[in-house]
Amino acid sequence: MTLLNMFLDTAAANSAANYLPIGIQIFFAIGFVATMLVLSNFMGPKRKTSDKLETFASGIETHGDARQPMAIKYFLVAILFVLFDVEVIFFYPYAVNFKELGWAGFGEIVLFVAFFLAGFVYIIKKGALNWED
Amino acid sequence: MSEIPLTHILFVSTALFFIGMYGLFTRRNMITMLMAVELMLNSVNINFVAFNKYLFPENLDGVFFTIFIITIAAAEAAVAIAIIINLYRSHHSIDVEDATEMKW
Amino acid sequence: MNAIILSAAFGVVMMLCSFLIKNKSNFRHIASVALLILLIGNIADTYGYTFFAIDTHGMLQFNRFGLLFNSIAIGSTLLYVLLTGKEIENAGMHVAEYFTLILFVLCGVTLLSAYNNLLTLFLGIEIMSIPLYILTGSDKRNMKSNEAALKYFLMGSFSTGLMLMGIALTYGGTGTFSLEVVRNAPNMYKGLVSFLEILGLLFLLVSMAFKVSAAPFHFWTPDVYDGAPSVFTSFMATIVKAAGFIAFIKLCAVRMAETESVVDWKMIYAIIIVATLLVGNITAVFQQSVKRMLAYSSIAQAGFMLFTLISLNDMAYEGILLYSAAYSLATIGIFAVLVKMKDYTFDGYNGLAKTQPVLAATNTVFLLSLSGIPLTAGFFAKYYMLAAVVKTGNYTWLVITGVLFAAVSVYYYFRVIQAMYFKEGNAETTTIVPSFKYGLIALAAIIILLGIFPTLLLRWLYF
Repeated sequence: MTLLNMFLDTAAANSAANYLPIGIQIFFAIGFVATMLVLSNFMGPKRKTSDKLETFASGIETHGDARQPMAIKYFLVAILFVLFDVEVIFFYPYAVNFKELGWAGFGEIVLFVAFFLAGFVYIIKKGALNWED
Repeated sequence: MSEIPLTHILFVSTALFFIGMYGLFTRRNMITMLMAVELMLNSVNINFVAFNKYLFPENLDGVFFTIFIITIAAAEAAVAIAIIINLYRSHHSIDVEDATEMKW
Repeated sequence: MNAIILSAAFGVVMMLCSFLIKNKSNFRHIASVALLILLIGNIADTYGYTFFAIDTHGMLQFNRFGLLFNSIAIGSTLLYVLLTGKEIENAGMHVAEYFTLILFVLCGVTLLSAYNNLLTLFLGIEIMSIPLYILTGSDKRNMKSNEAALKYFLMGSFSTGLMLMGIALTYGGTGTFSLEVVRNAPNMYKGLVSFLEILGLLFLLVSMAFKVSAAPFHFWTPDVYDGAPSVFTSFMATIVKAAGFIAFIKLCAVRMAETESVVDWKMIYAIIIVATLLVGNITAVFQQSVKRMLAYSSIAQAGFMLFTLISLNDMAYEGILLYSAAYSLATIGIFAVLVKMKDYTFDGYNGLAKTQPVLAATNTVFLLSLSGIPLTAGFFAKYYMLAAVVKTGNYTWLVITGVLFAAVSVYYYFRVIQAMYFKEGNAETTTIVPSFKYGLIALAAIIILLGIFPTLLLRWLYF
């Protein structure tokens, strides 16, 4: 049995040989990570400063406590984001059957978007997205 | 390679469902209760996908149902957060024990 | 189909009106016109004029029963908006949004009257419930309202979870979401089938019992109905509740009936009915607030509507339509009077007959209808319910229990009448405009008319 065949033959009976690819992958994954860690530890420069002990926040200096009251605006925008974000899920079935559904499907998705646009216009007009009062 | 049997997945989803139910009944923090409800809804999603994949793979009914559940759950969460914020404004607490204006 | 699409479209229009139109009092008129068009659209649908021909692949199925129920629901909402529209304006700042949400609830109601698939059942229930959570908490400054919204949300989403689990399990058992299952199809999973499906149906039964507040699962109802702003309680307790029943009955008539050989569903229904009647009626007797009494009485009325599940014959279907019409109209009327009162306790009604004779008289008609006194619509509603069960030949004991509890219910309804007519007092009301009085008189007239000629409504089922 060649190695290639073994990769392709998923229907083969359950035996230890079937796990060989996974074993190889795990071996390489662990090996790579371990090598890199050890190498960087030996080869990289070392500067022990207080900056290194700080929480990493994308390079921005951290300040204050995370557990402090936040503007209610933030929650509002976050909730609205989640709502509009989740509805994109209905585009998946449409995207998969894009060709088969044709213009009828396009019309329906436009209707769907139009409904959402109505909601979007509503929240903008109501001032839900205004950051400054 | 042998497949994971359906019963294992059903076990996971049932366990999650009842963890959610337990959380809903024992926790007193509203946000945690909301999370418990979401856990219940999402455990059902696992159920739907598992049934679809294992028993009825010829069409995607179950998967589409989960899409609807996800959107409805998002809508429910939005309403719930609004209610909780409102309640926090009047009670200055998100503990349900403090919401005892009316007795059961 | 007309009603579903029009209600959703009008909801969006109403939503956009909230910033296009500045004058608050216009919203009420727009909503009334929208509801009127909705009603006309639905009646057109009943006689075959469907404006939107959409192939739903059997997910929705329109029949005379469902469409007539739609007409009743939309008509009741129209009357509700006409009668208490002024109060809806005073409920909070976002007037247009309240009407929007009411229209969205109607969209859910119309879906529920036509569903033929568990997906549409789920969507209908959710489209109906989520706006109601918001309406319950619409009085943002009031702690009771907030708390009621929270309780309603927690209980509602819990029962949604149960319902979804039920749907998932029945899907696992049968491989389809459609209401009528093709048994012995080749793709049916052998072995687990009956167990999974029965378990799922049990979950569904419990969740639907939650939604219609039947007895072991009723405990959220009094608090929610008490805490919500009275105008919206009126809507929740009538149209929404009736729609829940229509969905419940359809589910039981099709799905549970198919598995009758395995589980004695009728026995479960009978237990639920007796428990519902018992809890609703007995607790209502001890209430001091009329609003809370009405919440318990709505549980008791739910018990009567559940009689349909036992009989499930033609008479029961006629009965449930008559019942939902009679109950909705009477409760809308009582709440319309209630929101005008300054004091919601029984004592607050003392001497109403002297200060506001028209209100007292019409309120009496509504209360008589709820307690099922002859010459009001409530009598024939209860009669149809009980007679349908008698027709099946079994469950005579259930009928006797029903009659007994109907007698109990007379006590607490008559307490209000007694307070209005025979007690000294000075019932305070907010200002009453003449048009409101005429509305109440019209409503009372409809109830009496239906009480004398119930066929006036039921004939539409057949032609």
